[in-house]
Amino acid sequence: MRSYFVRRVLGAIPLLIGISLVSFIFLHVMPGGPDALLARNSRMSAEQLAKVRRSLGLDQPLPVQYARWFTNILRGDFGLSFTQFRPVSQIIGERIPHTLRLVIPAIVLSIALALVAGIASAVWRYSLADHIISGLSFLGLAMPVFWFGLMLQLLFSVQLGWLPSADMTSGDGGLVASAKHLVMPVTTLAIGTVAGWSRYVRASTLEVFRQDFVRTARAKGLAERLVITRHALRNALIPFVTVVAMDIPFFLSGAVVTETIFSWPGLGRLFFDALRARDYPVLMGLLVYAAILIVVFNIIADLLYAWLDPRIKYR
Amino acid sequence: MNRPIFASLNRGAAIILAAALIAACAVPAASPATQPPAARPPSTSSSIIVAKVEEPETLNPYITQLVTSYDVLSGVMEGLMDFDTNQVLQPQLAESYQVSEGGLTYTFKLRRGVKWHDGRPFTAADVVATWKIIMDENFAAFSTLGWDKITDIETPDDYTVVMKTSERYAPFMSYVAVTPISPKHLIEKGLDWFKQEFGRKPIGTGPYKLTRWETGQFIELEKFTDYWGGAPKLDKVIIKIVPDDNTLMVQLTTGEVQLTDAVSAARIAEARKLPNSVVLTRDGLEWVHMDLKNIGFLMDKRVRQALDYATPKQQIVDRMLGGLATISIGDQAPGTPYFNPNIKPRPYDLAAAARLLEEAGFKKNAQGILEKDGQPFVIEHWIVAGDQLTKQIQQVIAASWRQLGIDVQEREEDIKTIWGPNGYQFTQAMTAGMYSWTNANDPDNMFYWHSSQIPSDPTGTGGNLPAYFNKYEQQAKIDELTAAGAAEIDPEKRKQIYWQIQELLFEETPVIFMYWPKRIYVAPKNLTGFNPNTFNFLLWDVENWAFTN
Repeated sequence: MRSYFVRRVLGAIPLLIGISLVSFIFLHVMPGGPDALLARNSRMSAEQLAKVRRSLGLDQPLPVQYARWFTNILRGDFGLSFTQFRPVSQIIGERIPHTLRLVIPAIVLSIALALVAGIASAVWRYSLADHIISGLSFLGLAMPVFWFGLMLQLLFSVQLGWLPSADMTSGDGGLVASAKHLVMPVTTLAIGTVAGWSRYVRASTLEVFRQDFVRTARAKGLAERLVITRHALRNALIPFVTVVAMDIPFFLSGAVVTETIFSWPGLGRLFFDALRARDYPVLMGLLVYAAILIVVFNIIADLLYAWLDPRIKYR
Repeated sequence: MNRPIFASLNRGAAIILAAALIAACAVPAASPATQPPAARPPSTSSSIIVAKVEEPETLNPYITQLVTSYDVLSGVMEGLMDFDTNQVLQPQLAESYQVSEGGLTYTFKLRRGVKWHDGRPFTAADVVATWKIIMDENFAAFSTLGWDKITDIETPDDYTVVMKTSERYAPFMSYVAVTPISPKHLIEKGLDWFKQEFGRKPIGTGPYKLTRWETGQFIELEKFTDYWGGAPKLDKVIIKIVPDDNTLMVQLTTGEVQLTDAVSAARIAEARKLPNSVVLTRDGLEWVHMDLKNIGFLMDKRVRQALDYATPKQQIVDRMLGGLATISIGDQAPGTPYFNPNIKPRPYDLAAAARLLEEAGFKKNAQGILEKDGQPFVIEHWIVAGDQLTKQIQQVIAASWRQLGIDVQEREEDIKTIWGPNGYQFTQAMTAGMYSWTNANDPDNMFYWHSSQIPSDPTGTGGNLPAYFNKYEQQAKIDELTAAGAAEIDPEKRKQIYWQIQELLFEETPVIFMYWPKRIYVAPKNLTGFNPNTFNFLLWDVENWAFTN
């Protein structure tokens, strides 16, 4: 088990290097560079543009630029943003807590609701409850996020005046005030996820219900409640756990639409803004961050799998 | 499955489009058609919340590329002079100035008793240090315009600055005198510090000092009680970043945002219904036009004029922009002395356009497409992607040109792509690209028309893009006039030169001038002293803002 873990971590290193190289190439293949607009600015002379290009390192050939970036990150230096002129690690670092603040409640809420909805519709399959839950799931999957967010704002902020329509904080509000700011963005972020995840829980629960050991449990006269909680669920949840673990990196990388609607200062907006500005150092920092998360959570998913299912052994 | 990052990359683009669609379908997004139940009472507090869509990337005034940064800085930092509502320079950090006989030496008398936000006194040494940092090789300032003409600055005493320049340069004051001045003692902390730290917390002499900047959320300004012009009235000005325009309307309705210049023309009807707000409009310095690449059929003046006749400018302004724009005939803004009032725009007249094209030798072929020398008239119409209204305007123009028998191909592309070396300006196709330039507070227009501003290659600088393949017939004349305008310091003679340039441009039609969009401001009804103007940034008069009951 330990050697398996070590091997996975070591194996991730060339993978990450590969990802960074591919990301770097793609970013530079994308038409229009960080200096595209500068060349069309009446306040910018040719000599001045050359100076700016030199100060950003854009005058160097691409392989040199990549090599420079790579050797710097080995020393923990992700470089300076092309637009903000601050360290990339600082720019990304200040957004991570904001993203966590939004995303952790959304993940917890999504898991809870997906379990309840998924199990309920599996246990009472083809009942009215199942149809309602299924209907809502499809609605949740189909609903555009920006539209749902706007509807929440119109109802709870404009009509009822119960909740702040956006922003992470208002003034130096206390815990309750901060929590109020979370309600709508967390709901918006969770809604699509719950819809997907609950279908997953429903399907895997139904599958387990058809297994021999569940039939055996029923046959020996165990109460249905105990059959479900003691035998069925534990097995049904194994695939769900891996799905959740694999999806978490996507949450942690930010959600641009939700963040934009609710003026939330998370990583998604940072990525979108950096992309528009072709701020390569920030983009590279974010892509490496996302890649590391994906690798880490893949390993976690595999370890969880082994832990939950004693039949699986890694060597 | 909801995959927030990558899925949302696509949806990021969709959101702008979708938001615009909502407006277009007149879904009452935050519209008070359904009266907000509790119309929030108007604020009488001593602070105001101002919303901006875009956040400054840095507040270092010499490296920022965004107007939004100057909007914030206009309340925090000051230049030697400042424009008034008539585009005339008025004293700010300088009390007066004099230009020497030959126009080469500028002498400023500085205001005494001015303090930086950190309490140090403002002196002539700060002006010198500002010049040095702007011109520093390793600093890579965004613009050195005007400052690069200075050969030396003398400071006979702490309150006198004498700038010697290398050539007679009429726009000198418009660029140099309004550049924010930075404190010497902070510039001297080093290039990196000045770039990074000063960019996060600029120290100026303005009426408000920056006390807090939460990235992605808000910038907090607090009144500077030692301000030389007297203490400002409002205690705090909060500049909040609201990236979504639906959310902006919602927040204006709920009072979470009180003042903004970010409401689009498409939503002005909604804004006018806000119970506690007033909508103000002002002329702008941005001119929307279509550049006609000087290539193929477009090299014939008659063809360019025909396209001008076939562009329904008035209809676009009236019906699509709600009247919130002024038809343009040239590159000088109405409301400035350099605007030539004698030129009347070409009316929308398809018959006149058809006549000109016939004169130029075009005939319709079997498919109804105009042809000349066996070549069909195919033109690509380009816009910057992302804005629904722009897309609709493109469709209207394309439909109109097609009525003449021109094969118009509608194209759009991301802004960085369109302006990069792969942009339409550098292809052999005949193109009309619709976009806007924004003028500085000076009529100097060499950037747009002079042959020195034709990019040497697709990565080169310069604004005279349509002449990239072929210079204009009028190139020599316009070179001479625009250069003369930049060197002429007598205001009346200078005006005559720019009037002449506008006549030449209108006749030759190297581009189709369309309109000047108005700037739209939504402000609280009970705010006094707020007087936005064409020639200044948003917080230029913030020290006068106050709430009445």
